[in-house]
Amino acid sequence: MSANPNTSHTSSNGSACINGPCGACKFLRRKCVAGCIFAPYFDSEHGATHFAAVHKVFGASNVSKLLLHIPVHKRLDAVVTICYEAQARVRDPVFGCVAHLFALQQQVTNLQAQVSCLKAHLETLEAPTPPPPPASRDEFPIANLPTTSCIPTSFDLSVLFDPTMQSSAWSMQSLAGQHVDSIQFSRVTTRTISQHDDNGDASDMHEVARELMQRHDTGSLEASAVPQHYN
Amino acid sequence: MFRFHKLDKTTSTRCAVCKYFRRRCPPDCIFAPYFPNDNPHKFTCVHRFYGASNISKMLEELPVYLRAELVESLYYEAKCRVQDPVYGCVGIISSLHQQIQVAQTQLAKTQAEISVLNANFVVAQPPSSLDESLVQQNGVDHGLDDPFNTWFY
Repeated sequence: MSANPNTSHTSSNGSACINGPCGACKFLRRKCVAGCIFAPYFDSEHGATHFAAVHKVFGASNVSKLLLHIPVHKRLDAVVTICYEAQARVRDPVFGCVAHLFALQQQVTNLQAQVSCLKAHLETLEAPTPPPPPASRDEFPIANLPTTSCIPTSFDLSVLFDPTMQSSAWSMQSLAGQHVDSIQFSRVTTRTISQHDDNGDASDMHEVARELMQRHDTGSLEASAVPQHYN
Repeated sequence: MFRFHKLDKTTSTRCAVCKYFRRRCPPDCIFAPYFPNDNPHKFTCVHRFYGASNISKMLEELPVYLRAELVESLYYEAKCRVQDPVYGCVGIISSLHQQIQVAQTQLAKTQAEISVLNANFVVAQPPSSLDESLVQQNGVDHGLDDPFNTWFY
């Protein structure tokens, strides 16, 4: 392992010293050893900037311990999400990305309420008279549509968009209990990160995700000689 | 007995953080208001990902009235990360985005169905018979515009 970051000699173990120290070791001003757990994910050019937020929020040792308990093929996704949370926490020191999560939860609740109201209204339009529901909606003839006396003369949809219409309170348990099955994370993460902030501040996080995944695709990853177990 | 009594008093007033580190809990302990000793899991969970020094720095950087929210959000993120070490709460964010897309699709579909029904109803009713029926039911000629303008959106 070379102590000179500008040396371009190759090493037989890992990519750490091929292009100099990784961004994490550069930030920490330490020797980037072969098999450095951060090296595949924080390049020497921009990795230091990204790692700065991660170090500030989580700390290098905590992230290292976390990554060691994750299988190698999942570590890129883990690093992306850690970077995302760290950036969100730097941007919003109080709530971090939880504020965004809460806003999305409210949006989902409101949308579902709107859908329920509209479906109820649709059912009213399709079957205005109490007796028997038709066999299928397709067979319901136009002639059986309600007369003007049965149809409400006005239907104010603005109530559906009332911001004061609150559903159940934010429940940490209900949110934390959601299990996310395997997701095409690169696609979803990029979209998620790009939708994070309407002011366009998500561009840097989007850039983080893209950079990390480009490095992953170009085969810069190398298996690290560490135990692989997943809790 | 006096010594045991003194130890019990000290132990019971220590916050969860100082209890974790087995140290004396000072009166101005920054963690004490947010990590009571009756919930040790809260700190162990947060400490696992953030570390006590980082938490302390984050608390010190915020005014007192915001610190409780900070701790709760850290606890929530830490719990999500415990449950899903790879994606953490970002996985939940992704899931919520998907739910929003599904709900928006359903909303658009339902709105379209309502619009179709409204349009079919208008087409099915010839203007003269509609006027006549309105007059007959209400005794007043409302005209075609009145009952339907508020429908279309």
